[in-house]
Amino acid sequence: MSNFDVPLFIRGKLIQDNWVEFGGRGTGSAFRAPDIHQYIDELPLKSPMAMADLYDVSFEEILDVLEQLGAALDFETNPYIREAYEAGLVAANYPPEILKSSYIQLPMVFNRESIREIAEQRIGIDYLEGWVNQTLADGRDLRVRAFGARALHIPAGNGGLVSAITIIRNVITRSDAIIKAPSNDPLTAMAIVRTLYDIAPDHPITKHLSVGYWKGGDTVLEEKLYQPQNIEKIVAWGGFASVKHVTQYIQPGVELISLDPKRSATIIGPEAFESEETLHHVASRLACDIGVANQEACASARVVYVLCGTDDAGLANINRLGELTYEKLMGLPAYITSKPKTFNRDLAEHLDATRMDDTFYRIIGGEDLEGAIIVSQFDEPVDYSSMLSGRVANLVPVDSIEKVTAAVTALTQTVGIYPESLKEQLRDTLPLFGAQRMTSLGYACSPTTAMPQDAIEPLRRMCKWIVEETCDPDKVYPLWGE
Amino acid sequence: MSDQQVKRAEKLMSDPIEFFNRSITQMHMFPREELEELQRIAMAIRFKEHYNSVEMLRTLADRLGVSELKEFNDVVPLFFAHTAFKSYPASLLDGKRFDLMTKWLNKLTSYDLSNVDVSGCNSIDEWIECLDEQTPLETITSSGTTGTISLIPKSRTGALYNMEIWKMFLFQTFGKEPTEEELNPDVDVIWPNHAKGKLGHLRLANLIKTAFTGGDESRFHALYNDAIDTDLMFLASKLRAAASRGELDRLEIDPKLLARKDEFEAMQARRPEEMSKFFEKCTNELRGKRIFMTSAYPIMYDVAIAGLERGAKGVFAADSAILTGGGTKGVALPDNFMETINDFLGVDKIQEGYGMSEISAFHWACDHGHYHVQPWIIPFLLDPDTSEPLHREGVQTGRAAFYDILNESHWGGIISGDEITIDWDTPCACGLNSVHIHHDIMRYSEKQGVEDDRISCSATEDVQNEAINFMKEFEG
Repeated sequence: MSNFDVPLFIRGKLIQDNWVEFGGRGTGSAFRAPDIHQYIDELPLKSPMAMADLYDVSFEEILDVLEQLGAALDFETNPYIREAYEAGLVAANYPPEILKSSYIQLPMVFNRESIREIAEQRIGIDYLEGWVNQTLADGRDLRVRAFGARALHIPAGNGGLVSAITIIRNVITRSDAIIKAPSNDPLTAMAIVRTLYDIAPDHPITKHLSVGYWKGGDTVLEEKLYQPQNIEKIVAWGGFASVKHVTQYIQPGVELISLDPKRSATIIGPEAFESEETLHHVASRLACDIGVANQEACASARVVYVLCGTDDAGLANINRLGELTYEKLMGLPAYITSKPKTFNRDLAEHLDATRMDDTFYRIIGGEDLEGAIIVSQFDEPVDYSSMLSGRVANLVPVDSIEKVTAAVTALTQTVGIYPESLKEQLRDTLPLFGAQRMTSLGYACSPTTAMPQDAIEPLRRMCKWIVEETCDPDKVYPLWGE
Repeated sequence: MSDQQVKRAEKLMSDPIEFFNRSITQMHMFPREELEELQRIAMAIRFKEHYNSVEMLRTLADRLGVSELKEFNDVVPLFFAHTAFKSYPASLLDGKRFDLMTKWLNKLTSYDLSNVDVSGCNSIDEWIECLDEQTPLETITSSGTTGTISLIPKSRTGALYNMEIWKMFLFQTFGKEPTEEELNPDVDVIWPNHAKGKLGHLRLANLIKTAFTGGDESRFHALYNDAIDTDLMFLASKLRAAASRGELDRLEIDPKLLARKDEFEAMQARRPEEMSKFFEKCTNELRGKRIFMTSAYPIMYDVAIAGLERGAKGVFAADSAILTGGGTKGVALPDNFMETINDFLGVDKIQEGYGMSEISAFHWACDHGHYHVQPWIIPFLLDPDTSEPLHREGVQTGRAAFYDILNESHWGGIISGDEITIDWDTPCACGLNSVHIHHDIMRYSEKQGVEDDRISCSATEDVQNEAINFMKEFEG
C-alpha cells in the first residue's frame, strides 16, 4: 500500500491519474506517482519562443509574487506543506523535529530582500532586467543581458530548502524548469508550485514550472527528454552515482551544472585550549557544525583537525575537547539535531571494532547509535572517515599547520575554522587543495543562499549571457578597410 | 552438566573427525538435541578460554558485562563483524610499522605474539611470512575498497585439519560408512588460480597440495604459478579508497613496490601463455584422470568457457571431485552456468558448499541443494537491522551469524554480510538430521545495490591489474 501520492504538475496543469507505485512495496516509503511515460510529450516546453512571456514581467513583480508565495507557505495553515511534511516523515532520514523546523523556516527563504540580494549579488538585477552597456577597449559598444534557459533540475533531497532554492533560482533567472522531485523529499517542490498556482494560476512564472517524479535511471524517459531540443541545462545535485549517470546525456547544446557530492572538514587552532571557557565555546560551535540537520548536509563537519600536538598534553587536550563536544552535541535542542532515525550499519560495525582496542582511537558515546566522537590518538583520521554520518565525527590531533592541508581534498566543500586568524592564514592555501568555502567554526551549516556555491556561480551558469554590440567603423577597425 | 558430557563436548570441539568416527553420515545424523547440549557446553568452554587469551574479546565482554555463556543467544552481543579484522590504522602498513601491526594482531589472536621479531620486514608479505615462521599462525588476508586489508589470524594446524574434513566430504557418500579408498583417495589437483598468495582462497592452494598430493608438486597443476602479491593488493585497495575520497592526487606508492614494476608487468605478460599451457596439460597429460578441482563459481565458469573455446570438453574422469560455491560475487552468470562448467569437466557430480574465511567450516550441500551446517558450528539468524537473534523455529530469513567451537586461533563468533534462510523444523528431504540452510544466499550489499567493501576473489585479477596499470602511469 502506498503511503502518499506525488502528483505531476506541468506548467500549471495538475495531473492525478495513471498512478504507478514506487519505492519498496510494503515498506514504509512506498508512494504513487502518475506514469510519466504517458506525459513525456507534455513535459518539455514546446518552443523556446514560449519563454517570451517571462520578459513581460518586471523584477519587482517577480518579488511581489514570491513574497506572497512565501507568506502562503505557512506550516500551520498550508495543506500542501503539511502533506509534504507528512511524506517527509516517511521518506526522509530526519527525525520529526528537524523536518518540522525546516518547513517553519521555509517562508523566510522567500523574503523579498533576501531574493533581491541573491539576484543583485549573484547576477546583477540590471542584467536580468535589460541590456547593460559596456564600452570595450577596441571601441565597440557592448550590451549584455542575462536570459533564462530551459533547464532540468535534479535537486538533492536532504531538506526541502534545496527544492525552494531551485524554484527561486528558476524564477529569478526567468527560466523554465522541469524539476525531478527527489524520492527522499518527494513533495516539497510540489507543495511550493501548488501554492503558487493557488495564488497566481496564470502568471508566467507559474507557467514555467513543472514538477514530477520518475525513477532515476529511467532511460526511456531520459533519452527522450534530455535532448538539446528540449532542455539546455541540467542542474544536478547529489550523489556520485546520480551525477555520473546524468553525464551520459551531456552533449553540445546540453550543459551540466553539477553540484556534486561534497564533504566538509574542520580545522581548530591551539587557541581553543587557552582557557576552559574558550574550550566550552569551541566545543559548542563544533557540536553545531556536526549536529545541524543530523550531519546530512554536505557542509556538515566530519573530520576535525586540531592543532593541539600529538604529545601527551596534546592528546589530553583533544580527548577533553572530544568529551565536551559530545556533551554539547547531546545538549542541542531537538529541532537542530536529535538521535538519527537510521544509522549506517557498516559505520556501526566499524565503531564496534574500533572500540575493542583503544591504542589508536577513542570513542566517546555511540553505544545507543545516538552519535559519537572518535578521537584519534595519533595524527590520522579513521580509515572509514568517508562513512562518517549519523552525528559521528572524528577529531584528529596534528602537530603542525602543514598537516592540516590533509583535511582538504578535491571533494571538500566547506572548511569550518577556529579562530579567525587561522582562517586568514589558511585562506590562500586551502583552495589549492580543493576547499570551496571557509567559514567561522559553528556556521558551516547556516549558510545564506546569496553566495557562490561549490566554487561556481550556479545562477550565472543558469543564465545565457547574450551580447548585442554596435561597432562604429570610426572607432573599431573595419575589416573591409575603408 | 555431567563430567562425562563435558568430556564429550571437549572431544567435539577439539577433534570432531574422531568424535564422529571419520564418517560424514555420523556427523549429520547425530540427534539434534543431544548435539545442541554439547555445543552449549563447548561454547561456554571456548568462551572462557578465549576471554583469557583474546584481548579484543575480553575488552568487548567486559564492556558488555558478559562473564559466561549459557544459552546460545548469550553469545550474540559478542559477535565480531568483518570490521574487527581490519580495525588497525592503514597508515601502519604504509609506514611499515610491523611492530605495531603485530601488537594489534596479538589482541585478535589467542596465540602470544609478544616475542615475534619483525625487525627485518620490508613488506606486508614479508611480515606475514615472518609470522608464519615464528608462530602457529597462517594469517589470511582479504582486500577491501576502504584502503585497508583484513587480516584473519588462522592457525596452520587448524587449516590442515580442515583439509581432512574436506576430503571426507568430497569422497564419502551420505548414508554410507566410508571405505578405505574413500578415506585415502588418489587424485591430481587442478588449481585454476594463482598458486601462491596470502588471500584466503590462495592459502588453500598449499593446504590442498599438502593434504591431497602429500606435497607432490608434479600432481598439483595451477593455472598461474606465481603469487598474488599482498602489497600489490594493498595498493589496489588504497587506489579505490583514494578515488572515492578525491585523494588520488596524493597517493604515494612505496618505492620498494614501484621498483618491482617490471616484475609485475612481466607477470601480466606471461598470463596468456600460462593459460594456454594449463589447458594443454588438462587436455593431454591429465585427460581422463581422476582429479580434485575447486574454485568459486565465476572462476569455474571462466575456466570452463576458456577450455571449451579451446575445444576441451568432458576432460576429466567421471568420478573426479569438484567443489564450488562462494556465491557469484556480484558477477551475473547465465542460468545454465553449472551445465557449462560440467561440459568442460565431464564429471558425475559437482559439489557445492557455503562457508566464510572467518569460520573453520564449509557447509556441504546435499542432493537437495541445502547446505548442511557442520556440527561444530552453531548457526544464528539475526534481524538484519537490529542484530537481535531471530527465533530458532519455523522458517526464518535473516543475517547469518555463526559461532565456531572448533577454531582456536581467534574468537569464533562471527556476523556475516549474508542473508540466509533456515527451516528449523522441517527435516531435509535428503534424510540428514542436521540444520540446513536454503540454497539461495545473497549478500545484503548486493540486495541493497550498494558496493560491497570487499574485493571478491573473482575480482582479484582485475584489481591487481588496476594496481599494476596505475604503477605504469605513475612513472609516466
